[in-house]
Amino acid sequence: MDDLKELKLEALKKIQEVSDVKSLEDLRLELLSKKGKIQGLMAMMKDLTAEEKPKFGQLVNDLKTSITEAIETKKKDFEEVLMNAALESEKIDLTLNAYTPKAGSLHPLTLVQKELEDVFIGMGYNVAEGPEVELDEYNFTRANTPVGHPARDMQDTFYIDVNHLLRSQTTAIQMRVLEKEANHMPIKVICPGKVYRRDDDDATHSHQFVQCEGLVIGENITVADLKGTLELMIMELFKKDAKIRFRPSYFPFTEPSFEVDMTCHICGGKGCPTCKGTGWIEILGSGMVHPNVLEMAGIDSKKYTGFAFGVGVERLAMLKYGISDIRDLYTNDVRFLSGFKK
Amino acid sequence: MLLSLKWLNEFVDLSGLSIEDIEDKLVKAGFEVESEKHLGLGTNLVVGKVLECKDHPDSDHLHVTKVDIGDEVLDIVCGAPNCREGLKVIVAKVGAKLPGGEIKAGVIRGEKSNGMLCSLKELNISEDMLPEDSPSLNGIEELDDCFEIGESDILNKLGYEDTILEVSIYANRPDCAAMYYMAKEAAAILDRPCKLPDYLGQANIGEKGSFKLNSASENCKHFIAKVVNDVTIKESPEWMKQHLRANGIKSINNLVDISNYVMLETGQPLHFYDLATNPNRNIEVRDDYEGNYEALDGNEYKIEKGDLMIMSDNKPIGIAGIMGGENTKILDTTKGLIIEAALFDHAQIRRTSNRLGLQTEAAARFSKGLEPEAQNRAVDRAVQLLKELADAKGFEETVEYGKSDYVPYTIEETLSHLNSLIGKEYTMDEAVSVMKRLGFSTTNDNEKFVVEIPSHRSMDLKIREDLDEEIVRLTDFDDLKSTLPLLPQTVGKLSPIQRIRRNIRETLTNKGFNETVSYTLVDQKKIDEALLPVGEAISLLSPLSDARKYIRNSLMNSMIETLTYNLDHYNNDLNLFEISSVYGKDVQSERLGLIMTGYLSQYKVLHNSIKTDYYVLKGVVLEVLDNLGYEGKRVLLKENDLDVKHFHPYQSVSILINNEVVGIMGKLHPKYMSSLKLKDVYYCELLLDKLVDKNPAKIKAPVINKYPSISRDISIVLKDEVKADDLVKTIKKAGGSLVKNAEVFDIYKGEHIESGYKSVSLNIIYESADSTLKTEEVNEVHTKILEVLNNSYGANIRN
Repeated sequence: MDDLKELKLEALKKIQEVSDVKSLEDLRLELLSKKGKIQGLMAMMKDLTAEEKPKFGQLVNDLKTSITEAIETKKKDFEEVLMNAALESEKIDLTLNAYTPKAGSLHPLTLVQKELEDVFIGMGYNVAEGPEVELDEYNFTRANTPVGHPARDMQDTFYIDVNHLLRSQTTAIQMRVLEKEANHMPIKVICPGKVYRRDDDDATHSHQFVQCEGLVIGENITVADLKGTLELMIMELFKKDAKIRFRPSYFPFTEPSFEVDMTCHICGGKGCPTCKGTGWIEILGSGMVHPNVLEMAGIDSKKYTGFAFGVGVERLAMLKYGISDIRDLYTNDVRFLSGFKK
Repeated sequence: MLLSLKWLNEFVDLSGLSIEDIEDKLVKAGFEVESEKHLGLGTNLVVGKVLECKDHPDSDHLHVTKVDIGDEVLDIVCGAPNCREGLKVIVAKVGAKLPGGEIKAGVIRGEKSNGMLCSLKELNISEDMLPEDSPSLNGIEELDDCFEIGESDILNKLGYEDTILEVSIYANRPDCAAMYYMAKEAAAILDRPCKLPDYLGQANIGEKGSFKLNSASENCKHFIAKVVNDVTIKESPEWMKQHLRANGIKSINNLVDISNYVMLETGQPLHFYDLATNPNRNIEVRDDYEGNYEALDGNEYKIEKGDLMIMSDNKPIGIAGIMGGENTKILDTTKGLIIEAALFDHAQIRRTSNRLGLQTEAAARFSKGLEPEAQNRAVDRAVQLLKELADAKGFEETVEYGKSDYVPYTIEETLSHLNSLIGKEYTMDEAVSVMKRLGFSTTNDNEKFVVEIPSHRSMDLKIREDLDEEIVRLTDFDDLKSTLPLLPQTVGKLSPIQRIRRNIRETLTNKGFNETVSYTLVDQKKIDEALLPVGEAISLLSPLSDARKYIRNSLMNSMIETLTYNLDHYNNDLNLFEISSVYGKDVQSERLGLIMTGYLSQYKVLHNSIKTDYYVLKGVVLEVLDNLGYEGKRVLLKENDLDVKHFHPYQSVSILINNEVVGIMGKLHPKYMSSLKLKDVYYCELLLDKLVDKNPAKIKAPVINKYPSISRDISIVLKDEVKADDLVKTIKKAGGSLVKNAEVFDIYKGEHIESGYKSVSLNIIYESADSTLKTEEVNEVHTKILEVLNNSYGANIRN
């Protein structure tokens, strides 16, 4: 019996002294394997009395349990140390540059055009397009600007031959829509696209730019409808409450015609450098479609009226994103482009 | 138009209105005020008399003066050479605000100076507006005795006080370029009465003469000439000089001034010819003259057929509507003159003026169009002023070719139409009162109003909506309510090509690409080097420059230019795309250009980067197509036989769907690249319109196989020219339905592999849809595959 006690003390001491996993395993085998010391104790059973046997068995089992537990505990200690060492070995500099999946970007003109499209699609408009190499007829004549009309001088146009030109206004698309949809009232479209004028490029002029025109034809369309529609568009674009005001203007294809100012999106109308202290920003041209334009497309101008408007997409982008030089939009420097994340 | 408020005030009483009020009302009525200028400018100015003027002890040109300004005597140091005792001068007192700054008390080289003696140049008057003998040109202004010491109303008394608004005028209102009609317009806008000078019929005088007038060109439909045999040249009166000055025109003499003044007032450019240069008394307008001609600016101009010329005795005497001739101009010796007031075609004048680079006030006015009765009105006014200011006598009867095409007419509008167009509730009183303010004769009942349109508005008032605009323009419009159109419901949606664009943009921006937008107009070189040009390039009739001469017929060179710009600015890893239409003669196509160089993505810390090569480009392009509904097996990549000039012959392919070419991609040719000082650039151009109707796949949910798959790798050695694609096809064919996938994952050439051969490692996935595969089943198929590979390619299993 004392042997057992001694054996236990000795075993536990050895377990405590083990210095690595391998030695611990060796020790475990020495003590607990089938040929191990504990098993060896069982051999002594046969020499014991029937009375002593269960008692001895119990003691051996207890011994076995304690040693097993001690070994497990020691093993866990070793594992803990190993894990700590492993973790330590995996220590990294958390301040190093992150891996940034390269983010692409849409061109700011695309972003604005997309917003315009989405606003108007939501209101049941379609998005119409047309050729940039256009007939003089659609660009001017059908827009109530016949040959010799002084308004042709307002836009210096890139002609290709007598009848063909690079369109100077997306009004050309409207004229095509009117002709095609003359018998499918009402008409609700926006017409985005590139246009070209013989302007020298500088900070505020570009020989190429993007316009987006809108056109609604139906019964009883009013200037008030135009106002409401434009206010909604501007509020969606600038994500702010905005008011607009109309100033009389002149376009050959609308009558009456209006320049439209919106409350400055920077100062909300209080006056700031962006709006030159006026609280208003000139944003687009618009008006009620001229009866001549409707008649030329085969639409009864006594029955139908409508409004049209045209906005410069560059102008919107410049206002919205704070771009001061229109040429930045066409230089395509990736440092600039990368700023326009989706 | 330059609108002098002083001049306007002669026609419309502006009292009680601030400049801001006037500007605000003009803007609301559709006349944008571009700028506000002042002729003379300066506060705190008084008339002073120089009591004492001594040389400054410490300067070779300064004077030390004592100046009496009535209530005190000021010490002022003055540098003007004409400063002297007894002179009446303009004194800017301490605190005066002048264009050059504020006057402060100070000490100049030890002498006190409490003010400044002024030249008119210091009071905002530009040198070219001053008379040739003005003391202000070289010193201080010298005032005459009508100025009292201490008086402050100096600029006004000198005729230099005026506010000039630069008003922009829309193309439909050329009438407002004339002061006469601008005054009418302003009166209507301000709702005040308008007093206009009355001189109609003044030209209906004179003896019958022998003057012959003709137009041989349809671009001159109306021409009035009048011979005046006797005029006296002298200085113009001050009021006329002032009005001219406000318009930036310097007074020359009464005759020149009258022709300019009448133009400003009536809008009609006039020309006076020296009568002595026209002994045979004839003028003909022609458009068939060719040759050089010296205009009165002393320059020779090359006249071509089509240009309108004023001829006499078959010799040119002036460039019609643009500038008179050197040989017929008014001189100091002129005794008699011929008045010309004509209507020349605006488009023709504009063409000639642009071609000759001769932009005169007359040309500008003709180009914008004239009101139909301007010629008659101008001659009436000229005759009246010549009599009054040039002692004109010996008038001959007016000679007229053609006549004004204005025929009086009316426009009818109803209140209900007006209100249903605008969306407001105007009353008949409101509508009619606007017509009255405009000076239009109007009749009305409860519903309808009928308006007579005068000649000067006949260019823009043609239909009832034009009248509606007048009402909107001249009444408060800020209270218009906001509504939305009440229409039958419509469904808004994108077209197929619009959806394709959005889809591509999403794919490529997710992959890290930047979208670009470049110019459509390009130079000759970009056309010469076009990739798959859509057609013969279209050139412009009159390009701005050689760099912007053609409409591009492919995108590649624009994208290379964008790439080059960025590389030049140290932006090295570039992945760009652009979607744009391209044009050729009678054709149009929409394209996607995609250009890559450097790294697609880079993570230097872990040396984990993707350097762009053909395979990276291919992956991106296939993903673009896949997202559009064209998965890999529908896309055929064929050897590039479309363009090997710009593409690397062995690293480029043409892309086909349904047997039609939809694009090209690959590495750009090293030779082409080195000519542009570039290297390792990868490019793809897709023909987007070809992708619209190729029956793209719809999304279908994949079925997950519930039975496990078995993966086997093989390495085989075979001839270098065997293509991966063929190997995979062979494996799939040999393996039949059990082969779920086969993929090359490694290629090795070099040591232990005979030259001309390569070792290819493939992974084959076996799978069955109906059962768990047994090893024996797989072995059987796998062995067969190896056999077939061996037979087809002489492939040896590598150990």
